[in-house]
Amino acid sequence: MRSEERNEALWKFGSYIFLLTIVVLVMIPLYWMIVASTIPQSEFFTWPPRVIPGTEWFSNFQALQENINFVRSMGNSIIISVSYTVLSLILCSMAGFAFAKYEFRFKEPLFYFILATLVLPIQLLIIPLFLLIVQLGWTNSYLAVILPWAANPLGIFLMRQNMKAIPDSLLESARMDGATEFQLYYKIALPTMLPSLAALSIILFLNQWQAFLYPLVVLQDPQMYTIPLALADLVGAQRVYFDQIMVATSLAVTPIFVVFLTMQQYFIKGILSGSVKQ
Amino acid sequence: MVLNQLQSQVRSSGAYQQLSDRLRYMRQDISDLVPKIPGLPYAYISPFFILFGIFLLFPTVYTFYLSFFDYVGVSSDIMLQITAGPLQLTIPEIAKLNWVGLSHYERLIFRDSLFHTSLFNTSFIFFVQVPLMVILGLATAIVLDSKFIRAKGLFRTLIALPVATGLVAYSTIFLLLFNDQVGLVNYVLTQIGLSPVEWLGSAWGARMTLVIAVTWRWLGYNMIILLAGLQTVPQQLYEAAEIDGASRWQQFRHVTLPQIRPVLLFVVVSSTIGTFQIFSEPYVITGGGPSNATITIVQYIYNQAFLQLNLGYASAVSVILVVIVSIMSIIQINIGGEE
Amino acid sequence: MATIDITNLRKEFGDDGEQIVAVDDVNLEIEDGEFLVFVGPSGCGKTTTLRCVAGLEDVTDGSIEFDGNDVTDQRARDRDVAMVFQNYALYPHMTVRKNIGFPLRLSTKQSTEAINERVEEVAEMLGIEELLGDQPKELSGGQQQRVALGRAIIRDPEVFLMDEPLSNLDAKLRSTMRTELQELQSELGVTTCYVTHDQTEAMAMGDRIAVLNEGELQQVGTASDVYRSPTNEFVAGFIGSPSINTFTAEVEGATLHGPGGFEYTFDDPSVLEGHDRIRVGIRPEDMRLDADGGMPGLVTVVEEMGNENFLYATMGEIDLTARVESKMHPDEGMSVDFGFDEEDIYLFDIDTQQSVKTKTSETDVDYRQFVAND
Repeated sequence: MRSEERNEALWKFGSYIFLLTIVVLVMIPLYWMIVASTIPQSEFFTWPPRVIPGTEWFSNFQALQENINFVRSMGNSIIISVSYTVLSLILCSMAGFAFAKYEFRFKEPLFYFILATLVLPIQLLIIPLFLLIVQLGWTNSYLAVILPWAANPLGIFLMRQNMKAIPDSLLESARMDGATEFQLYYKIALPTMLPSLAALSIILFLNQWQAFLYPLVVLQDPQMYTIPLALADLVGAQRVYFDQIMVATSLAVTPIFVVFLTMQQYFIKGILSGSVKQ
Repeated sequence: MVLNQLQSQVRSSGAYQQLSDRLRYMRQDISDLVPKIPGLPYAYISPFFILFGIFLLFPTVYTFYLSFFDYVGVSSDIMLQITAGPLQLTIPEIAKLNWVGLSHYERLIFRDSLFHTSLFNTSFIFFVQVPLMVILGLATAIVLDSKFIRAKGLFRTLIALPVATGLVAYSTIFLLLFNDQVGLVNYVLTQIGLSPVEWLGSAWGARMTLVIAVTWRWLGYNMIILLAGLQTVPQQLYEAAEIDGASRWQQFRHVTLPQIRPVLLFVVVSSTIGTFQIFSEPYVITGGGPSNATITIVQYIYNQAFLQLNLGYASAVSVILVVIVSIMSIIQINIGGEE
Repeated sequence: MATIDITNLRKEFGDDGEQIVAVDDVNLEIEDGEFLVFVGPSGCGKTTTLRCVAGLEDVTDGSIEFDGNDVTDQRARDRDVAMVFQNYALYPHMTVRKNIGFPLRLSTKQSTEAINERVEEVAEMLGIEELLGDQPKELSGGQQQRVALGRAIIRDPEVFLMDEPLSNLDAKLRSTMRTELQELQSELGVTTCYVTHDQTEAMAMGDRIAVLNEGELQQVGTASDVYRSPTNEFVAGFIGSPSINTFTAEVEGATLHGPGGFEYTFDDPSVLEGHDRIRVGIRPEDMRLDADGGMPGLVTVVEEMGNENFLYATMGEIDLTARVESKMHPDEGMSVDFGFDEEDIYLFDIDTQQSVKTKTSETDVDYRQFVAND
């Protein structure tokens, strides 16, 4: 049946073309960012626009730094994101461990309660949160951005799910060997959970790294800006300096790409674990 | 067999019984200890719950509370003070408030045309973007899942790359890409013989720009979830359908769709919730314009709350947003979970 | 109903430099209405062959014909085959009625009433008419199996394919279904290819049995053929339970010298010509306790089965199994001698494993002499 074979071949060919088209469409903006961040401002308004990357990345970067202290905002972002991730990991893993491996009153209702809050949108929180932060005098501080979100419902949910898989017999034999309860958490549960911790930390880190609305509200001092805030500032006030904007964007985006490409499986795990079957 | 005999001899001996009893008691003693350490699990969960209560729970409740008031300023008064012997609990006021009852809601629903506009904008973007992205994502996942495709991992990585871009970061890229005068998109359009589109300069152009941007950002993310769902469909079901005479399309309708229904529903619902809440994209790319053509609900909340300091009013908008999104989710779950 | 011609069938898997040959040059002609069983150990290629006939796998080389029509390049849905899977593969979200009617819904333009009528007919044939409104997950394994059968029957196909359909059932259900399947196939008269790893099942069910090993067809024949006249040592060892006893013996004239003191002199030594060493096979059921048997053994275990006993013994380094009458119960640790008839001994070439001597074919028996006169 020659036509059968031909139809099969056509289908396969078409599939590949489709996939390639999607890939190309997805890649274009990213590629273009590379181009745009490496050409000087003057070449932005040419027609036709340039499609080959240039060599001006560093001079654009210098202009950026003179304009706003972008490096400072990168530092802010790093400090905030890392501290947040560590703090949240500790809180969520400890609480998750307790929910998974201990019995105590109110265990069930408390947990379902946390599950219910998973659907809370951020908009319901920011206004009073803002007031609270003002009241506490924490505006323009790292604390304001890190602390409120450290108790992440998704985090505790994932930690509990994954920790349930630790065999009880492992913990009991450790107890018999004389381990303190805290050592059970620290020396047994945590190391076993490394992959889940990695996946969760990626979720947490990313969320904080690119968080915009809330930091926008509580951080007014440009010295304390995180990367998204600095970027938005560039765009808002100075819509004209495209080369600086693109350089800043490239700096915002590239570290995460590196993490993504090297730790893909944890990324994917993170995405999939977020899609909870309810 | 000799071994078995030996084993049963040992097991029935008195010494062995005693030893195993003692071990068992020891283990019970130790595990009994755990609840005896008073409140140990509570110690583990309290840091979480303290922060949770103060920063997540309380604000949520307070937003509802706030929506019935006009905000006048920040207060340092004390709302509630409980004294019990040497202990004193003080709950400070957060804001100075004037009671207005339901008037915020009344104004929002009936008279605030800017709010209505933001509702329209957000809904429009939702109605176009979510189906577009879900269909495209499903098609991509299905094609990617085919047996004959090589380099699946590579495709998946590349298509998912946008997941790693921050919301503001990718918005800046799209801001420049869709620039009416010098953007790459208009250039390509003119090159293939079409006329350039007023992406950011016109109302519908701006809305479409947002649709395209959001779709770009989340396509890969949802494709990954859908792909995982597709991979749980047993291959044998497809084979049985093939033998029964089903064409590709029929196999999709009768095998794939029913099997991935829960995953598909999840993607639709979460995309709906996400799209209704977009803020960074309109803020950066269109600024809500031109002339409020793309101002979204959350943007409106932000403007009201933090630019005009109408915190009470903005709280009411937040509540309405949550109600709308909840209703949509419930409807979708009911329709989608049927049969 | 159709004949199936499998010619030079070859199927390879793997494309990263490592090729696995799952089916290697299989040739087979299956007659119209025949019940042919493919049997062999895991990985022998029987399921792969079946899937090639189904059209679920592309063949690497060779051809498949139904009634003379070349279907090798046709997709499964264009071939007129129906298949019953080991895991039933019922559509989980459809009722039993919809499951069975599904093939008709797809291909023919019949009205829903016509389809329902047909579904009810088939359901009655299989005894599941009361389950029509149920979902697959509410059914037991046996019931699901019947639904899968119903779905296959309803199309009245040219060919039935069954991939270990009884493996997931418990033993009792399995034997009931075995008989039912045979009756069904007889009644419908559809050419059937049946795959199983259980040689007892194969022997009981098939008109003919195709024995495969490592992708190669070892032998095709009736149950009697493969049991009495296996073409090689593999078939002899695979068919028959408990398995045939095999060992190597030295040939000295007309006498065989085997391990543990085995010694047997042939009445008709012509079969031994040209061999210095030879592989010997003796089935457990052909052995009896016999002081002059020439097969000395040290009894290790005696299993009493009620109707017979299994004796396990060692002869030198070889393990023997014998089936004897239930009144024969030597003690464990005793030395006994076994005997057998010369006609029952199997001989295999030591290099090629091909059979040199097998049992003679059954002589035709006129069974009418056993029928009571009116």
